[in-house]
Amino acid sequence: MEFKGITREWDTLKKDTKARVGAASAYTKNGKIVDAENTVALLETVIKPFDKVNIEGNNQKQADFLAKCLCEVDVKKIHDLHMVQSVLTLPEHLDVFEKGIAKKLDMSFSGPQAGRIAEFLKEGKLELGAIHTYLELYGRYFVDLTPRVALIVATMADAAGNLFTGFSTEDTPAIVEATKFRQGIVIAQVNEIVEKLPRVDIPGDWVDFVVQSPKPFYIEPLFTRDPALITDAQVLKGMMAIKGIYAEYGIKRLNHGIGFDTAAIELLLPTYGEQLGLKGKICTNFILNPHPSLIPAIECGWVESVHCFGGELGMENYVAARSDIFFVGPDGSMRSNRAFSQTGGHYAVDMFIGGTLQIDPYGNSSTATANRVAGFGGAPNMGCDPKGRRHSTEAWLKCGAEYSKAPELWGTVHRGKRLVVQIAETFREKLAPGFVEELDAFALAKNAKLPIEPVMIYGDDLTHVITEDGIAYLHKCENMEERTAAIRGIAGFTEVGLKADPKTTAKLKERGVIRTTDDLGIDITKATRSMLAAKNVHDLVVWSKGLYNPPARFRNW
Amino acid sequence: MKKWSELKDSSFFDASARERAVGLVDKGTFTEFLHPLDRYCSPHLVVLGQAVEFDDGMVCGVGLLGRHPAFIISMEGRFIGGAIGEVNGAKMVGAIRLALTAAKEIKAKYPGEYEAKRPLVVISFETGGVRLHESNAGLLAHAEVMDAFQDCRHIVPVVSVVGSKVGCFGGMGFVAAAADVIVMNEQGRIGLTGPEVIEQEMGKEEFDASNKALVYRTTGAKHKYIIQDCNYLVEDTIGDFHKVLGEIAGKSMEEIEKMRRIGSIDLVREQQELVKLVGDMQPKDSMDVWKHFGNENPAALPELSTAEFLKTVKRRARS
Repeated sequence: MEFKGITREWDTLKKDTKARVGAASAYTKNGKIVDAENTVALLETVIKPFDKVNIEGNNQKQADFLAKCLCEVDVKKIHDLHMVQSVLTLPEHLDVFEKGIAKKLDMSFSGPQAGRIAEFLKEGKLELGAIHTYLELYGRYFVDLTPRVALIVATMADAAGNLFTGFSTEDTPAIVEATKFRQGIVIAQVNEIVEKLPRVDIPGDWVDFVVQSPKPFYIEPLFTRDPALITDAQVLKGMMAIKGIYAEYGIKRLNHGIGFDTAAIELLLPTYGEQLGLKGKICTNFILNPHPSLIPAIECGWVESVHCFGGELGMENYVAARSDIFFVGPDGSMRSNRAFSQTGGHYAVDMFIGGTLQIDPYGNSSTATANRVAGFGGAPNMGCDPKGRRHSTEAWLKCGAEYSKAPELWGTVHRGKRLVVQIAETFREKLAPGFVEELDAFALAKNAKLPIEPVMIYGDDLTHVITEDGIAYLHKCENMEERTAAIRGIAGFTEVGLKADPKTTAKLKERGVIRTTDDLGIDITKATRSMLAAKNVHDLVVWSKGLYNPPARFRNW
Repeated sequence: MKKWSELKDSSFFDASARERAVGLVDKGTFTEFLHPLDRYCSPHLVVLGQAVEFDDGMVCGVGLLGRHPAFIISMEGRFIGGAIGEVNGAKMVGAIRLALTAAKEIKAKYPGEYEAKRPLVVISFETGGVRLHESNAGLLAHAEVMDAFQDCRHIVPVVSVVGSKVGCFGGMGFVAAAADVIVMNEQGRIGLTGPEVIEQEMGKEEFDASNKALVYRTTGAKHKYIIQDCNYLVEDTIGDFHKVLGEIAGKSMEEIEKMRRIGSIDLVREQQELVKLVGDMQPKDSMDVWKHFGNENPAALPELSTAEFLKTVKRRARS
């Protein structure tokens, strides 16, 4: 057989980048530094129509100045961009579509802009590639969604372009590595340019341009939950979780979702957890943002380690002073990293627990609503049973041993199972039901013409559901009929719960597939806010010995 | 519901209206008027298709503070933000009038012991003012309460207690300030227009409602205590409120009268002095005012515990 080699140039990307960067030399001074007022011109020079462009949009920190500048470019020069970015939070992230600067979008999570994405999809202003999980999107940065130009954000830079991302590193390393090593262009906005950085998070030769933004970058304290807003019902469900799941399986390595339910659990560890004698036996290693509500448990010696996806405003000094627990750099400040934390959350934890908005009778759960394309960020990676896991722990093995489908699907091999737990209230505020016959995700798929329903956690991955009525141990169910009956059995007066057959529910209770507070031996009169180790944000400051410095919006005093 | 002995050490801020009512008086002495089983609820909410509560979000009753009958009015913020409508407004007015009737009867029956058995009115505010669903009736209720306060002057002390989640705003902010004595915990807030409404009407530059620290140092108890709009600042337990109410119940009417903010020509002059001061100094922040009254490091005050604060704070001198 004869092989036919092709003749081509093998460094067109490199040459193109060199040409673009060269053309921008008029805007640089001292090498890489570009004045803020020249930023729009810089973008018009180095970005070309149809480029894949990443605006660093994280859960927390935002390249807000570069996002704003991208909105100001001449649409005749730059159009039809393909935006590849994990989070869309700022209005500018959508304005680029409104103006025709961008056309296509691949993303993970969109928070406040979710309504506009749905609207733009309907009007044809935006073409959606796919909604990914964080890890999935980072993976595709290195396969078929590599950015040609990345607009990133860091705290400080030096003259050589070295960057200090500091406390909130988040996505930056993943974006820069993918972009730069495929000959792309990296532009960083920084709060200040200094002589010497505290530490180098991104080496200068991976960065082409540095802009000092007129204002420090925007960052959102997304993970702070005021203990004063935790309800008695959340305390009850937290106690049920601790006794019926954490203690039952000996959950040591875990991730907590965002929300008041898990904040309640964190604040119950030093009180209820202590009463049950669980210190050292549960909750020793977390994959978690620096939640202020975890401070009392840390101070009481419960926690051995925490790796963080991102930072949390106000927690800088506390985290720095607890370097045995958090991942702190030689300079003394923490470095977060969403890609590594998500990897830990996917492979190395025994349990994911979090709140949701809707659960259907099959156990599918979703926070999607009919007119918002929001995505789920990292929850699906943590809220699933990772099939690539090959190490065992006690909790993982116990859940695997209880799995009723194991003989049918696994044969005689010993395997374990990740615990995936959803906490739901039968009715939330304004009487919104937590259990529905059909998820809003179906209506959304139809409205936004998505090929699949955006389900956060698939029913077959879900092992436990907690409501004020009880815990359903879904992995113990023999078949879909029984799984549905178990969910109905704890779904209260929702349309799903009203269809429960009391006889079947009683049978499931007998088998321990459903357990109520009585079965668990929890005195519900004790389930009040007085169980919480901190009752308000000020208590958290006191617990932290004054190291936690909450943002003004949480200073209720 | 918690037992009295448990309420004593419980947070006042977290307590329901009924828990507060029971815990503010001596153990086992509380009797509720128009109990939920009597089902006096708002006729207006039903018409609007809104849920009602069988006590209309207000717990009224009588208990004892030592030998003093204490007429308790306690508002429930978890029901329509504690807003005042026709029925709960009438319950409030009725309870105050009942205290006056009791005073008259005690005076007639025990003329020598009136001081020792003199009743008092205690109002635990948790409200944003008028219930918009029944606005006219709610406004009337406010007026009737003010009227009843006037009838109580020099006869029965009226005590405002503020320290619950919603705070005390709207028309009820006026009402609370018109009482003889004001007791607050650190979380307590009193004001007229709520922070969100000020921001909505005047813009974020005027008042940023999301800046909780700003909201607290403008409407919160520490500020009120410094400028003498709050007479007693106590720790956040029902027991601490109960204790200070017991002290107030035992004071003479002369001492009570001295704690008022309005209601005489001298007090009007004192208020005008304050207005003049604000005009002269043009404070940008309540901390400017704190500094003016002798607090060298005003930024440190919000961070202090109640006990530390009481030890170090300098207050406006009263004339």
